[in-house]
Amino acid sequence: MTAELLLFAFAAGLAIAFALAMVVEKTPVRSVLSLVVTFFGITVLAVMLAAPFIAAIIMIVYAGAILVLFLFVIMLLNLNEEAREKDSRPVQRVLGLVSALALGGLLLGLTLRAGKPPVEPSALPGRIPALDEIPLVGRLLFSDYLFAFEAVAVLLLAAAVGALILSRRRMD
Amino acid sequence: MSVPPAAFLAAGTILFVIGLVGALLKRNALSIFLSIELMMNAVNLLFLTYGRMRGDPSSHVIVFFVIAIAAAEAAVGLAVFVALFRSRQTIEVDRVNLLKW
Repeated sequence: MTAELLLFAFAAGLAIAFALAMVVEKTPVRSVLSLVVTFFGITVLAVMLAAPFIAAIIMIVYAGAILVLFLFVIMLLNLNEEAREKDSRPVQRVLGLVSALALGGLLLGLTLRAGKPPVEPSALPGRIPALDEIPLVGRLLFSDYLFAFEAVAVLLLAAAVGALILSRRRMD
Repeated sequence: MSVPPAAFLAAGTILFVIGLVGALLKRNALSIFLSIELMMNAVNLLFLTYGRMRGDPSSHVIVFFVIAIAAAEAAVGLAVFVALFRSRQTIEVDRVNLLKW
């Protein structure tokens, strides 16, 4: 019981601390690596929410594929010196920070007030048994969400072709 | 679940706000993109929490779709950055102002 709370505090603290590090950090490579640690924390939280399959997907697709793609692009563009320039627009930064924090406070207040669970938390364990997740998600994907699934497949194909066309050199 | 769901909601919201701050304050397009990825994952966490609260496995499917679309977005976005860098030698969003005025 307490161990679970400790695990939550560790994972959430890790995720939030490294998310802050990602925003504060000026070097893009370090931002990406901080985000990887944040994803570790989010993965632990997802496992605690009885979603081990989603946790594995986040780890493999996000940390394993997308962030590595980011690292490749950073190295391809050689961005290290550029990110260290001085800030050009202090007013915009202050306004952005203030409005983001105001929106954040609003969201946090609303989320916590609306956070009354429709079912009692004590009734929660066993509603989605952890090991039943994959067949459940698979059945939903290929029945209720079949059209969305196919549409996402087409979208991924279009994105792959689009990325190829966008990034090729002009052959004049 | 001895951890109250509100704690998960708070963690997800805080991560979302951190991502939002990053997306608003960063000027390097790649860092903005990274912040957006963080925001998407915070939303995924919120989806999983609400799905758990309601006992609804559809939330896992939605998160699955969000991840798939994020992958497509990352591929296209990074290709745009590469093309942008080829033509302008920079991806600082302040200096890419061709469409601004």
